[in-house]
Amino acid sequence: MQGVGSVLVRARGLTKTFGEGHAQARVLDGAGLEVARGEFIAVVGKSGSGKSTLLHLLGGLDRPDSGEIELDGVRIDRLDERGLTAIRRHKIGFVFQAFHLLPELTGVENVLLPARLARDGVEAAPRAKELLERLGLARIARRLPTELSGGEQQRLAIARALINDPALVLADEPTGNLDEESGADVLNLLRRLTDSDRSVVLVTHDRAATSIADRVLRLEGGRLVA
Amino acid sequence: MIPVVRHGLARLRNDRARTALLIVGVTAAAAMVGAAVTVAYALATAFDRSAAAAAMPDVTAQFAQQPLAPVAARVRALVNVRAAAYRIEAKGVDLTAGPRFATAVVDGVRNDGPRGYALTSGRDIRHRDEVVIEEGLARSWHVHLADRLTLGGDPLGVVGLATTPGTVAYPLSRSPRLYVSYDTARRLTGGAAGVNEVLLWLNDPSQVDVTLAQARAASFGLRDLQFVTRSGYRHLIGRAAGLVISLLVAFSAIVLLAAGVMLGASAAAEMQRRREAIGVLRAFGATPSSIAVGYAVESAAVAAPAACVGLVAGAAVVASPLRHLLGILNEITPPALTTFGLLAAAWAAIVLVVAAATWVPAWRAGRERIVDTLRGGDVVGAPKRVPLPALAGFGARLTLARPARAATLVTVLAASTAVVLLMLAIADVLHGLQRNAQTLGTRYQLTVAASDISLAEVREVPGVAAATLRYESDAADSFDLGESFKLVGFAGDVTSYESPPVDSGRRARGIGEAEVGAGLADALDLHAGGTLAAQLPSGREVRFRVVGIVDALRDEGLVAYVRAERLRAAMPAASTEIAIKLAQGASLNDVRNALLGRGVHADKTGGISEDSGLDTSGRASFLRVLAALLRSVAVLDGLVCVYALAQILALIARERRRAVAVIRALGASRAQVFAVFAGAAVLLAALALPIGVGVERAVLGPAVARLAVSYVTLSLKAGSSAILVVAGALAVAAAVAAGWATRTATADAIVAPLRED
Repeated sequence: MQGVGSVLVRARGLTKTFGEGHAQARVLDGAGLEVARGEFIAVVGKSGSGKSTLLHLLGGLDRPDSGEIELDGVRIDRLDERGLTAIRRHKIGFVFQAFHLLPELTGVENVLLPARLARDGVEAAPRAKELLERLGLARIARRLPTELSGGEQQRLAIARALINDPALVLADEPTGNLDEESGADVLNLLRRLTDSDRSVVLVTHDRAATSIADRVLRLEGGRLVA
Repeated sequence: MIPVVRHGLARLRNDRARTALLIVGVTAAAAMVGAAVTVAYALATAFDRSAAAAAMPDVTAQFAQQPLAPVAARVRALVNVRAAAYRIEAKGVDLTAGPRFATAVVDGVRNDGPRGYALTSGRDIRHRDEVVIEEGLARSWHVHLADRLTLGGDPLGVVGLATTPGTVAYPLSRSPRLYVSYDTARRLTGGAAGVNEVLLWLNDPSQVDVTLAQARAASFGLRDLQFVTRSGYRHLIGRAAGLVISLLVAFSAIVLLAAGVMLGASAAAEMQRRREAIGVLRAFGATPSSIAVGYAVESAAVAAPAACVGLVAGAAVVASPLRHLLGILNEITPPALTTFGLLAAAWAAIVLVVAAATWVPAWRAGRERIVDTLRGGDVVGAPKRVPLPALAGFGARLTLARPARAATLVTVLAASTAVVLLMLAIADVLHGLQRNAQTLGTRYQLTVAASDISLAEVREVPGVAAATLRYESDAADSFDLGESFKLVGFAGDVTSYESPPVDSGRRARGIGEAEVGAGLADALDLHAGGTLAAQLPSGREVRFRVVGIVDALRDEGLVAYVRAERLRAAMPAASTEIAIKLAQGASLNDVRNALLGRGVHADKTGGISEDSGLDTSGRASFLRVLAALLRSVAVLDGLVCVYALAQILALIARERRRAVAVIRALGASRAQVFAVFAGAAVLLAALALPIGVGVERAVLGPAVARLAVSYVTLSLKAGSSAILVVAGALAVAAAVAAGWATRTATADAIVAPLRED
């Protein structure tokens, strides 16, 4: 485990229910966690245990039925849509299992997209170039996602997540669609993100991922246990 | 198939909002189709239908009054004649009903053949004191059956109402037409026995030319003989109604295209929503064709009642104005059964289109790999690189990912743009004709007979800015005496009083120069630099150098404008009147009343040619109705654009919901999502606008202008203001559609589309 700093994320008593009537399922039932700055946390659990839901709540993509989420001192569970948009724009970077690169945009355009949404596209251009070089993606920057391998696409997705220099990176099974070698590259990349005091929460089934995490939390019965 | 239909019906029940939207869409499209089809059919077939109902003669011969016996003998000598009716026609007969007054055309009918007019209510004439009046007169004067009129001083009872195809109705025509007994008409024409009109019905109407040749050969001794054929009337009416019909046909085509796009987009979006279900059905053994047929049956079940309601509503909305328009044209509405059959055919077509629009995407989805279908997710076409600002450019790329669909929608928008521009151009011309005589180059508002008042006295009347003498004479081309035309001269500068647009050449300035109407130029093959040699009724000839060809509407363009000097010298008895220009802001009626106070009646110049036979107030009303109708249709067409755009964007929003979710997850606000869809819509509108403008200016406008008045180059090219209005409307349409798509795309939680892997 590397050294970690002050608390970046504090979540308490999170509940989330899906479905209605007999089909109702409470996937989160009082879950809570704290993520320190520079900490790498891996969350594991069975399929359907609520791992992705937890990530969506932490990232402001969805709202809890009850509970509190504090990100960098801001109660995001109380924010309206505009406030959540600002949080997603500036504080959080997402990495999805299916990459979710926009197929109409080239690699560099995909990477620059969050910066352009934050109206920072011009200033972010050199940053994007540097990121792409650092991640070994410079030669494919002008290609469309459909012309890239899975590993290249995921590394582009990570570059996209980093372009606005977020404090928290949320990765939802980022190696799920990759072969072993590409998966290892991506995990190393994510691990290195914490060197710059950035926190990473990773949802995974991948044993390799758990081995490089500072902490591994298991989601069981709607709660997180160490 | 049945499990697929059950699944579809269950979806309809459970997603009632979406079902309601589909029903509204089909109903709206059906209403547009119903309105367009009903009007187009009714107008296109109106003349033949009315002519058949009226037993319209194949040939009408008019001549100076002759005794019946010799005329009948000549008609009997014609071999192809099936029936004949002999009449006496009186023109300019005083007609009063209470305070109302008009000069009527009266036909004295003998019960010796078919009528030639269609009774729409009441019965035909049986006695001398009875009259059948035209529908237009009954409508305009609120005259009913059994009311009494005074005709030439004689009181007559109204026993029937009739329409006569081939003429326009009163008050659009200056004189109402009435039918009385032969004896009554004879009394009105001074009591002499005889006839001046024969209606002929032929055994073989296709041989009308042969019959006319025979009739001309047998007509020796008949003065002022004129023949009018049924096909001639059809041609005349067809040309007049052609403008409206061609517009409606164009509008119908656009409506059908737009409705097809809307229904297709809607069905494709629905299939997109059902991809996962289609995957499941396929996984459990359903074939692609059973899926396609099952969903097609389901959508047809929804479309059938909606289309029925829409068609009936559309037909009902246009029924009253259509009846009014046909009444103005002296034509009758189609039988209810025919209209019903037409609507039933349209209903079947709409249901088929809806079913086909569902079948195609369902079949395509059913043929995809099952595992891909089960995943749902985005449908991505070939990506296009468009160098545009980030978000709008992304939207544009989303649109171009489906090039065939984008091309179809651009076609719909471009066609709509062209038709809207055309309608606005026509409405502007009509508005100008109605409001301002100067539209056609007539720059004076009133005329008085020069024999009634002096020029100096006229100029002293308050509100008169200027006045001059205007001379007019009939003339014939010296080289081809069969071609007659009007020679119009002004004292002084012609163009300050009458200056139709110059088509080629320049304005006449000198005493020996003439501006020639396009109709006359065509007839005599005249060009700028040529010579117009006019034979005047005085027997003298005057020659002018043609310096310009002008777009004159009066006398079908068979007119020449010259300085008065030569005309007066050669024809001292030329009709003379005083043309009066009003001062800025002066009231036309005040000036007329002031002249009336001096015992002088002043005529308004109006907009269209005075000799068109149209009463000014009736014409203004007709033009107002037409202009309003055209603008309404333009607005309706604009709404079609909005709906088509919105449907396409909604489809993109549905197909690309995961992409939208991703950019929302990356921090896009609603405004930025709006920018994406606005980029998509603006791209389509930006492609459509220049195409639409080009089509209108290069094809539609000139074609319709030629159709409307072949003897003049009436400009129907859209002006810059109309183009700006349409561009603004397209921008608003794009914004509205983008707003709707944004609302749809951001209504769901961000996470739902992200889970579809």
